[in-house]
Amino acid sequence: MPSKVAIVGIGQTYHTTRRPDVNQAEMVGEAVRAALADAGLSIKDIEATFFSNMETFEGIFLPDHGMTAEVGAFGRPGLKVCTGGTSGGSVVCEGFYFVSSGLYDLIMVIGFEKQDCGDTTAAISAAATPLWGKGATTGAIGEFAKQALAYMETSGAKEEHAAMVRLKADRNACRNPYSHLKLGLKSIDEVLQSPYLVWPLRILDFCPQSAGACALIFASESRAKKITKKPVWIADVETVHQEPFRAGVFGDPTGTEIYTQHVASERLYKRNGITNPRKDIDMAEVYEPSNWEEMNLYEHFHFCEKGEGWKLIERGITEIEGEFPVNCSGGVIATNPIGATPTIRVAEAALQIRGDAGEHQATKDIKTALASALGGPNWTILTLLRRSL
Amino acid sequence: MTKASPKKKAEAKKPEYIYVKFDRPRLYNWSTGKYLGHFYAEAKENKKITGNRCPKCKEIWVPPTIVCPKCKVEMGCDWVELPQTGELYQYTYLVLPLWDPHYGEKWANPYPSAIILLDNGFYFRHKLEETDKEKLKTGVRVQAIWEEDYDKRGQGPGDILYFKEIGKE
Repeated sequence: MPSKVAIVGIGQTYHTTRRPDVNQAEMVGEAVRAALADAGLSIKDIEATFFSNMETFEGIFLPDHGMTAEVGAFGRPGLKVCTGGTSGGSVVCEGFYFVSSGLYDLIMVIGFEKQDCGDTTAAISAAATPLWGKGATTGAIGEFAKQALAYMETSGAKEEHAAMVRLKADRNACRNPYSHLKLGLKSIDEVLQSPYLVWPLRILDFCPQSAGACALIFASESRAKKITKKPVWIADVETVHQEPFRAGVFGDPTGTEIYTQHVASERLYKRNGITNPRKDIDMAEVYEPSNWEEMNLYEHFHFCEKGEGWKLIERGITEIEGEFPVNCSGGVIATNPIGATPTIRVAEAALQIRGDAGEHQATKDIKTALASALGGPNWTILTLLRRSL
Repeated sequence: MTKASPKKKAEAKKPEYIYVKFDRPRLYNWSTGKYLGHFYAEAKENKKITGNRCPKCKEIWVPPTIVCPKCKVEMGCDWVELPQTGELYQYTYLVLPLWDPHYGEKWANPYPSAIILLDNGFYFRHKLEETDKEKLKTGVRVQAIWEEDYDKRGQGPGDILYFKEIGKE
């Protein structure tokens, strides 16, 4: 019988473009201390440490080896995962498996990225398969530009709808003390006037490169109840992989219809008796590198019918005070320390369930939340959180 | 939740970076392997685009692969030559220059990135010759233009310089 797993501690750094005041290890230490303080625990209580980072993005090989002392992992077991953009979600799965299996009772998972030390797009362009991918110098941006074009054509969404998603993200980010971009955007026109990165994707349509870290403490059922009165239970996780350069072959050349998102959500919903996601789940923290992708995700995760993602934003359904809030934190388009980004989705969803999100707490009571991760060649990871199991 | 981490005071200070410069070339030797190697050889020797066909689902995979991702069966060597003409299905183009990781220079690739619907129904990703954004139009007929210098070929998909509108000077 697998053990139930609860999130008992949540900590993150503030996220920003540059952190010249600290090195990678010191920055991660801030999130670790915040998570321990949140749980009321000492670093001595933690049995194992798990890391997530986009190795080589900062030109650092084995970055976890350089911070064992700073984060209290010295002399302890643990692993680092790197699965592209989903790394921070993979590390949550990893921690979940280890506690669920009964191997450990109390562990820490850490996602981090300090992008001011390196060049992300250069790393992404070189990462895929070095031979076939050579010369594909637009990194992730070109792919999302293709998706935006296809989404416009098939769903009937206008650039204005993407701008509305950006405005929602910015309003929420401005209420979140940890978020990176707080632009105070006022109008749709302001978004539509921003310059193009890769046509038709504008600077304000895409996520920033952030420096930051996020740490979570997971506990088994017996330990969780002693540590906190407000445990957030990890009900289930699902992870689905796909090969690079095959994004377009499942009946969709532009990669808009992300195969792994369909498979992941169908499996997760089936196992957990979710028949009407928008009713059975209260809110979602989704990994949306671009505002166009957020509308796509509404559809792929079945928050609405096909081709209607843009109507959710038009009707205000996914606003913080709406019927089904999405990304109360401001999301990835406001904050993107890649190795930490999916970990932050889980952290923010857990804060919503605890009712501890402060200024950016959703208006409705959140009992069940979904966190998603996206990355690499469109891999998908989903985490389902509940107040009670 | 605890308080936010220290405020952004430190950001006001001008950062001091230490620059470390390496003047050695990077010595990478990537192997193509048996299947991708076939694609590279056909491109270099015969200016052909090749894939392999799954014995079970009959789907053609480019780049060629050892196992069919869908059926999980061994693909074998049922090589298929793809047509070099097709229709422009979709395009995007780079506006803001990016770092080219292979040459370490800031560079805006002038060639629009495209998805081309080849005449056998395969969607092939490559770039376009036409750099004038005003003249780009989906649906036009295009064909592959190859690097003619044999010694310069050997770059796999890069042996095709770009796709060009058919009948255009």
